Amino acid sequence: MGTDFILGTVATSVKWGDMLFYLVLFIVLLALLKHFAWGPVNEMMDKRANKIADDIDSAEDARQKAEELAEKRQSALKESHVEASQIIERAKKNGEQQKNIIVENAHSEAQSFKETAKQDIVRERQDALEGVKNDVAELSLEIASKVISKNLQLGDQKALIDSYIEGLGKQNEVK
Amino acid sequence: MNEGAYVQEIFGIPFNISNDLPGLLAAIIVFFTMFWLSRKIRLKPTGRQNVLEWIIDFTNGIIKSTMPNKEGSQFGLLIFTLFSFIFVSNQLGLMLQVNVNNIDYIRSPTADAMTTMTLAFMVLLFAHFLGVKKFGFRGYIKNTYLSPIPYLLPISILEEFTNFLTLALRLYGNIYSGEVLLKLIYEFGKSFGLVSFIPAIPLELIWQAFSVFIGSIQAYVFVTLTMVYISQKIEKE
Repeated sequence: MGTDFILGTVATSVKWGDMLFYLVLFIVLLALLKHFAWGPVNEMMDKRANKIADDIDSAEDARQKAEELAEKRQSALKESHVEASQIIERAKKNGEQQKNIIVENAHSEAQSFKETAKQDIVRERQDALEGVKNDVAELSLEIASKVISKNLQLGDQKALIDSYIEGLGKQNEVK
Repeated sequence: MNEGAYVQEIFGIPFNISNDLPGLLAAIIVFFTMFWLSRKIRLKPTGRQNVLEWIIDFTNGIIKSTMPNKEGSQFGLLIFTLFSFIFVSNQLGLMLQVNVNNIDYIRSPTADAMTTMTLAFMVLLFAHFLGVKKFGFRGYIKNTYLSPIPYLLPISILEEFTNFLTLALRLYGNIYSGEVLLKLIYEFGKSFGLVSFIPAIPLELIWQAFSVFIGSIQAYVFVTLTMVYISQKIEKE
């Protein structure tokens, strides 16, 4: 302990060194706290506040999107209901039309079949008649030739042949 | 106290060591407490971080009560440091008093008017500086001394001094008187041996508890008034 200490005396002068000491002490404490405690914690608190705000915003966004989606789905469902009933209606109409057309077609086809069948029958009969006529002519020719060849020797049966031919002619006419 | 002070002159500047040493101790306690509380900072706070954030929220709440959030946030660190330093200083002398050869080495640093005056001087100077910075010198004079009515100028000037003195001496008086009474009870306990020692224990206990309460209140009052004075200087009336 040197001589420049004043021990055990009531301070008569202001110890203005204390003022300097406390100013420096306080400023150093301020700087240290800022660097080690206040800075990091405050930064983290700000970050947290921002994060919470962001989360709230994004939650709101998500909620709105979900609502929109639900609305869209609802309207799509309604539309699809309407569309389905429309499709069914149209299909029914188409079916009806188709049915009518088919029935009509069938009718007309049947009619035409009938027509052609009738025509065929008529033509066939005609053909048959003509064929028979030809055959008769040929047969008569053959018979005639045969009869002639035989009767050249047997002249007495001439009356029979004649009656034959006459009979054939009568039959033809009856037909 | 009226006990002797351990005064040392360094470069011709008188330093009262029995005042500086406890201040240094208080600052060290504050720093290491806050340092310990602020380790492992996470987005999701746990344990110690919660404590630190609670303290910060508390000091920010003091600022918010006098000033809008946007303007006030710049004073967060000042108020946080001021509050924690004064709080620890107030409680220090209640737990630890070192007195060797009638010279104090450790007591409440705020039980000395020099300490509280330094702190008050510092914050008021800061407030005046902010006022000049915000309105310019002319605006500062007008805002601080000439409004709302110019002829109150003398009172306005006087008010600045009383602000300083009351801010400093309120804290000093409360803490100093607390310590005086603590010492008186201690002396009383010693005076009649066991007869006085036993009743002195609960007395001392009660007074210590009350002093803890007073110390907390005074730290709160000091920073609240600091914010009030700052807001007076930087807000137009």
